[in-house]
Amino acid sequence: MSTEKSEVGEGEERAGDVIVETMSRLMVPFIQLFALYVIIHGAGGPGGGFQGGVIFGASFVLLVIAFGIVNAGDRFPEGANTAFMSLGVYIYAGVGLLCIILSLGAAQFLNYGFIPLTTHFEENRALGMDLVEIGIGITVMAVITSIFFNLAWKREPEEGGGEKE
Amino acid sequence: MKLISLSALFFVIFLGALFIYVAEDIPDFGDPYSAPNGYINLSISLDAAELEDNLNKGVVPEVLTSELKAIGFRDDELPLRVEPIKEGEWEAIIIPDEKEQDFYPKEQKYYFIKKDGAKLDVYRYALIKRYVEEGHYETEVPNMVTYILADYRGYDTLGETTVIFTAGVAVILLLRRREKRPE
Repeated sequence: MSTEKSEVGEGEERAGDVIVETMSRLMVPFIQLFALYVIIHGAGGPGGGFQGGVIFGASFVLLVIAFGIVNAGDRFPEGANTAFMSLGVYIYAGVGLLCIILSLGAAQFLNYGFIPLTTHFEENRALGMDLVEIGIGITVMAVITSIFFNLAWKREPEEGGGEKE
Repeated sequence: MKLISLSALFFVIFLGALFIYVAEDIPDFGDPYSAPNGYINLSISLDAAELEDNLNKGVVPEVLTSELKAIGFRDDELPLRVEPIKEGEWEAIIIPDEKEQDFYPKEQKYYFIKKDGAKLDVYRYALIKRYVEEGHYETEVPNMVTYILADYRGYDTLGETTVIFTAGVAVILLLRRREKRPE
């Protein structure tokens, strides 16, 4: 923790607050757990992929606010995040295509009942919906995080007065 | 300049009048008998006195079938039997021919007949009735919002996800600047 603080101190004029950093470090895992709960719970109650993805993205936004863009950005794999953006859409469309493939062309695109996860047609539909919600959640999380990182990074040279490295 | 502001004022008034004209047809919130929420009037009216006994017995009157055919319903959308709901209200049941699509070939209620004075009015049930009443049994998901969003309207949600993905790609293309790149 002390090494991180010194990095931040030399890069920016931002003063690291111990209370803010400790509390956000404590809160982030719980926020992410709650986001996963909201995504998985979408079938049974209020929730779903869009809401859960936004909550998951908000946890990364909290990290950036507490630790600064440079410090949080070093630990955040931006390339993997960009891949996640398309992975969610691929999961969604792939589940739809799986219905056609596994029913040998009998079912329509996105007719989840024909994915043989269980022997029960209606429960297949429920599980297919869960898979789709996970795809939505991944995409929304990656897009929210990516937008925030890019918007925050743009300001850096103007305020800091020059390049870091 | 004055012309522009005058025409802008005209368009604002015109759009307001158009909105008021359209808003006449918007139903009260939660009204189950208004057209988009419950029934769509097919503007067929039959004589109540002759047909009421037949309807109560469950027989589909010939007049109703021919009238529906004249409007343009397909053969598999004609009623097979009639069930009385309560005094003066009946529902007619069809079995749509959806075997080619491998979807749900099963009985579903389709027409709603209501006695109004000496006439019988024929309505068609709105699609939302099926979502609300049958969705839990068809999908095993208790949350109505989720099964409409992710199952019945799956294409729609795929499009929404693609819109969000496109927004992310656009922000990356426009705003991603890294220090490696010489400027």
